[in-house]
Amino acid sequence: MTLADLFSIMPIIITGCAALVVLLCGPLLHTRTVSGIAVVTSGGAGVWAAFTPSAATPALPGLAFTPLAQFLIPLFCLSAVLTLLFSHGYNLRRAIKGEEYPATVLFALFAMCVLPCATNLLILFLALESITFAFYILVTMDLGRAESGEAGLKYLLMGAVAAAFTAFGFALIFAGSGTLALTGAIASQENRAIISAGWGVVIIGIAFKLSLVPAHLWTPDVYQGAPAPIAAFLSTSSKVAAAALLLMLLAFSPPMPELHAPLYILSLLSMVIGNLAALLQKNIKRMLAYSSIAHMGYLTLALLTGTKEGYAAVLLYGAIYTAMNLAAFGAIASLSIDEERDLIADYAGIGFSAPLRGGVLALSMLALAGIPPTAGFIGKFFIFYAAIKGGEMTLAIIGIVSAAASAFFYLKVVVHLYMHRSEAATPRSTPPAESLALCCAALFVIFLGIFPAPLMRLVDAALR
Amino acid sequence: MTSDFPILTLLIFLPLCGSLLLFACRRSDQMARLVALTVSLAEMGLVAWLCLASSMDVAAGAPAGFFSFEDAAWIERFGIRYTLGMDGISLVMVLLTAFITVIAVLVSWNGIRERVPLYYALLLALQCGIQGVFLSLDLFLFYLFWEAMLIPMFFLIGIWGHGRRVYSAVKFFLYTFLGSLLMLVAIIALYLMHGAQTGSYTFSLTGLINTSVPYGVGLWLYAAFLLSFAIKFPVFPLHTWLPDAHTDAPTAGSVILASLLLKTGAYGLIRFAYPLFPEAARAFTPVLYVVAVFGISYGAWVAFAQTDMKRLVAYSSVSHMGFVALGIAAWSPVALSGALLQMVNHGVTTGALFAIVGMLDERAESREMATYGGIWGKVPVLSFFFLLFCMASAGLPGLNNFIGEFLVLVGTFKVAPMAALGAFLGIVLTLVYTVRLVQEVLFGKENKPLSLKDLSLREAGVLAVMALAAVYLGVHPGPVLELFRAPIELLTK
Repeated sequence: MTLADLFSIMPIIITGCAALVVLLCGPLLHTRTVSGIAVVTSGGAGVWAAFTPSAATPALPGLAFTPLAQFLIPLFCLSAVLTLLFSHGYNLRRAIKGEEYPATVLFALFAMCVLPCATNLLILFLALESITFAFYILVTMDLGRAESGEAGLKYLLMGAVAAAFTAFGFALIFAGSGTLALTGAIASQENRAIISAGWGVVIIGIAFKLSLVPAHLWTPDVYQGAPAPIAAFLSTSSKVAAAALLLMLLAFSPPMPELHAPLYILSLLSMVIGNLAALLQKNIKRMLAYSSIAHMGYLTLALLTGTKEGYAAVLLYGAIYTAMNLAAFGAIASLSIDEERDLIADYAGIGFSAPLRGGVLALSMLALAGIPPTAGFIGKFFIFYAAIKGGEMTLAIIGIVSAAASAFFYLKVVVHLYMHRSEAATPRSTPPAESLALCCAALFVIFLGIFPAPLMRLVDAALR
Repeated sequence: MTSDFPILTLLIFLPLCGSLLLFACRRSDQMARLVALTVSLAEMGLVAWLCLASSMDVAAGAPAGFFSFEDAAWIERFGIRYTLGMDGISLVMVLLTAFITVIAVLVSWNGIRERVPLYYALLLALQCGIQGVFLSLDLFLFYLFWEAMLIPMFFLIGIWGHGRRVYSAVKFFLYTFLGSLLMLVAIIALYLMHGAQTGSYTFSLTGLINTSVPYGVGLWLYAAFLLSFAIKFPVFPLHTWLPDAHTDAPTAGSVILASLLLKTGAYGLIRFAYPLFPEAARAFTPVLYVVAVFGISYGAWVAFAQTDMKRLVAYSSVSHMGFVALGIAAWSPVALSGALLQMVNHGVTTGALFAIVGMLDERAESREMATYGGIWGKVPVLSFFFLLFCMASAGLPGLNNFIGEFLVLVGTFKVAPMAALGAFLGIVLTLVYTVRLVQEVLFGKENKPLSLKDLSLREAGVLAVMALAAVYLGVHPGPVLELFRAPIELLTK
């Protein structure tokens, strides 16, 4: 192991050490210091990863700083930084105490940094499950709320089943190919039946993680129960990580025609049912949960084309979706004072009484609906372009029609924000950390909508 | 234009800069009004200067017919370019947009009292979107502006509207959004076909025109474009969003909606749908004839049944836009120039009618015809303008609509006499509802003792300028038609 190798896996080391430091020294330090350390280290890890050249050779057995990792680690770090900024004020308001909160966020981030670096199935599995494990804890962090406990339990039970499926699938692939190495195991042409079966089971497991219909039922409850900043982190980074895992598996494997049908059905159902169910929601977090189900359906649509354009679309959409959802959940977190501001009707008039937060929420809704000139439009454009180019015209049209229907429930939030009056008191002013994070997310949403070219270059570089 | 100065970019983004400035000055309402007026007048001046100064020679590197052209790389990965071009058609539309925006700023001067800076910011942002639509020559860029127009209009109706404003705003948004998403699919499909054939992936109109589209596929793609534009148009039976949106929008919203947004649909059809899919467009022509002729009569018929003046004018829009659709369907030089002229005419007359209804509404807080009656003696100046624009709308010779409708009918008669005949019958119906409107509101007997004030100087000025435009277009349409001539020759050859 050379110094260069050490440098290349530095983000993993930084986040891992930071998690431990925060956990060990947390009790002795002020809350603000703890949050500060967590923000600085995760930001630092992201910056480090962005400016370190990627290497083809593994730095450690099973870990290589691939171009994909170079793209994804900064994204995860950014998401963690914003989550931590949202969390600080939120936790103070909600009396969520303790250093375990930032430590667990850092631990989740550590696992997210490992995931795209993995070169064998075992590391991949460990990283994926570590992420989920951290979220089991984070979801239940608000001990004062009954929904939190319920959400945690539901997530744990579902997650355990999903983990079992994934492990079983990896075991079958190993049994069929005789190696755990990512390239070797997947590309093996012998024992095709066993490997195909393994693939099928893995897809079931990942469908849980991505909350694709019909494995989506935990999502609305968990989003509703989790603290809003955690819902932001969960709905962005953990989804992107799961999508990246599927992408790594698919991109390394030779074309697998037998995977087309299951992915097609998962994508179709997720887009249609996700959007239709979201139409009926009165609770904004449940609405966003169904919306994220639909968005994962779009991602799957791009994935199943099996083309490089499709994979590029997945990465681009992952980045854009992260910015949009962080903005949405961040605004919700910032507007939730003594209790969660859950109902869409509770947002009446907020656009005028809290212009920044209301504006960011409205912007994120328009972006999620895919309306230009926001980034959401560029993302949707790339997805549907890749789908049509990959020959999935029917599914693309179904997806587009369902996306058009989705505009209705996103607009419902905007309508409440600006077009209904309320007598409720003006929300408290925004703490600077949250304002900063909200502005940052909103700027990404606008900037990427108008100048997507730099991000597209990064995406292409990540897949080289 | 031969200079390198990016005048078209300035045309599009000057209003947006004004809009951002207004977001910043949220304290003083009067200040916001003045800023908005200054920006819209500056835009107007810019267009006027462009009209007078441009040599009408084809710009260097521009496609035929375009005398002002800008092109820059934007998203290289997809071959998306920032391409703007201005030919005679665009110039007239841009001029109309700049003109109507000034009017819209002025008519909302006293009517809008809440959140004034935000209101004007959205108005100017809307102008940015509309100018973008009229100037884009890259389909991706066009689509971007096309959809971006929706957001400010949605807020204008939803926040400052009347009645069922939220319902109307959402309906307006969803209708247009659904139609345009299908157009996006068609654009992507066309882009991929062109790329596969030539190896160069581009969204530029001039490139995509040369794609050889198989007939069957072309029909589907054209249908997607047509759907999107026909919703905006609006062509019967896709018009149902229009009466709601017009009625519930604030006055300036209705003016912009009628005068400009409807024109973007017709413009899209002429600029993009027909040139891209000529064969499919020809195949769809009978359909367009039928909906156009039916729309003319249907709009007039329903307008006759209205008691709300704004709704009446809204349905009259459906009727008038039927003439535009008819002229486009005929696709002969005469009919097409009639259709384009009719777009401008309708923008002026219907915009003015909406403004007058808004002024009456501000005075008596009612848009019901039954409230008024016999106001001719009480408010002579307002009544004069009301009568003038009603007559223009009914197609009185000497006023603007007459020329447009006449050209459309003449042009259509040569290719489709039956359609022209049907449209002619529609004109008779137009007369019926106009006469009723004039009779019940201006003359007739006084239904309620109203004490109305006559027009203020600002209002009279607004209407006088529009009246001048109506008379000018009615007696001397030559210069405008001359601007249309060269692009139409290129389009119909």
